[in-house]
Amino acid sequence: MRYPKECVLKDCREVVIRPLEPGDRVLLDAFHTQIPESNRWLMNYNVMDATVMDNWFASVEKGNIACILSLYDNCVVGQASLYMRNFGATSHVGRFRITVLPEFREKRLGTWLLLDLTQTAMDHGLEILRADLAGDIENDAIGALKKFDFFKYAELEKSIKDYSGNHHDLVIMIKHLHKRWSDF
Amino acid sequence: MGPIQIQSFCTPDEIQRYRFDPQFTIHAQYKSIYTKQETLVQHAESTLANVVLALTEDRQIVGFGVFSHPDEDDRWAELEPGIMMEIKAIEVSRRFRSCKIAGDLLRLMLSHPTVEQMIAYMVGYSWTWDLDGSGLTVHQYRNMLIHLFSPHQFFELQTNEANICLKPENLFMARVGSHVSSQIRQDFKLLRFGITI
Repeated sequence: MRYPKECVLKDCREVVIRPLEPGDRVLLDAFHTQIPESNRWLMNYNVMDATVMDNWFASVEKGNIACILSLYDNCVVGQASLYMRNFGATSHVGRFRITVLPEFREKRLGTWLLLDLTQTAMDHGLEILRADLAGDIENDAIGALKKFDFFKYAELEKSIKDYSGNHHDLVIMIKHLHKRWSDF
Repeated sequence: MGPIQIQSFCTPDEIQRYRFDPQFTIHAQYKSIYTKQETLVQHAESTLANVVLALTEDRQIVGFGVFSHPDEDDRWAELEPGIMMEIKAIEVSRRFRSCKIAGDLLRLMLSHPTVEQMIAYMVGYSWTWDLDGSGLTVHQYRNMLIHLFSPHQFFELQTNEANICLKPENLFMARVGSHVSSQIRQDFKLLRFGITI
């Protein structure tokens, strides 16, 4: 069994990583309320809206979203979601977002979620992983992705607005999931 | 192909009496884990090591497994001496693949008298895998290894060991013996994440 996975963070706290289960709605809602509003703004959908989350859970059930949670003391402290189109020209591309509670940041939890999410993407046969991030605001995440072979694919200047209405660059980070090694 | 005999705890003298399949060599896109018979001999000289061989009727080595201590400078050598033992190698000659030899090699490597007192582990670096010979993708090869080790109570575990973390498809699996104390289990967990208290 691949799950649950135990991880020890830099501060010695132990978290468990496992996929989202149908009964996790209450835990996930509680997690979302603890995320600063300025961070929730960057999630692209309103996680505080029950109807939005109903649809989101329906997408998980349909297989369009794969979600991995990290839990500490039976509370969700991190979430990684992989968004897939199961048909069409971009069905080989998975988009993802990783969100971690502020008190669990800079403790490598995001890295563990990213590693697991990458394996999940490979399980689904995806060829490209893509993350859209806000320049300046999410520079730490951009740096962390670079360490895992992501590269800056495009940068759209001043094309997103933060919660306060300030413009930022949209940074598109890409990683190719290779099936084989090259002949080099 | 004839019957294959699997022999555990091979001594250096025994290994020297056998012939090494020339298939254990440098292929176009793959290099065998060991390309010299002497390497197996050297491992067999180490205390507690278990070198297991798959042999044809005419005494040719067509598969090998090496179960031994981690190297001194490995992270895994930091636990109490003798606790950690590594599956250092498991390889079957290309022409004998798909004959289920690897499972038998593994089973006999673990037929070690003190296996329940130790933590056996394996590290799978994807760049060492014979993708060309197997026709598998990196991901399929990884799953094949998990399938090979899981029946022997190996579990996939997380670690921040730098070489393993280099690629998400790399693999770390371990089997914790039933007589390993809870203190050592805890120390092993912290060691996996590079935490020393």
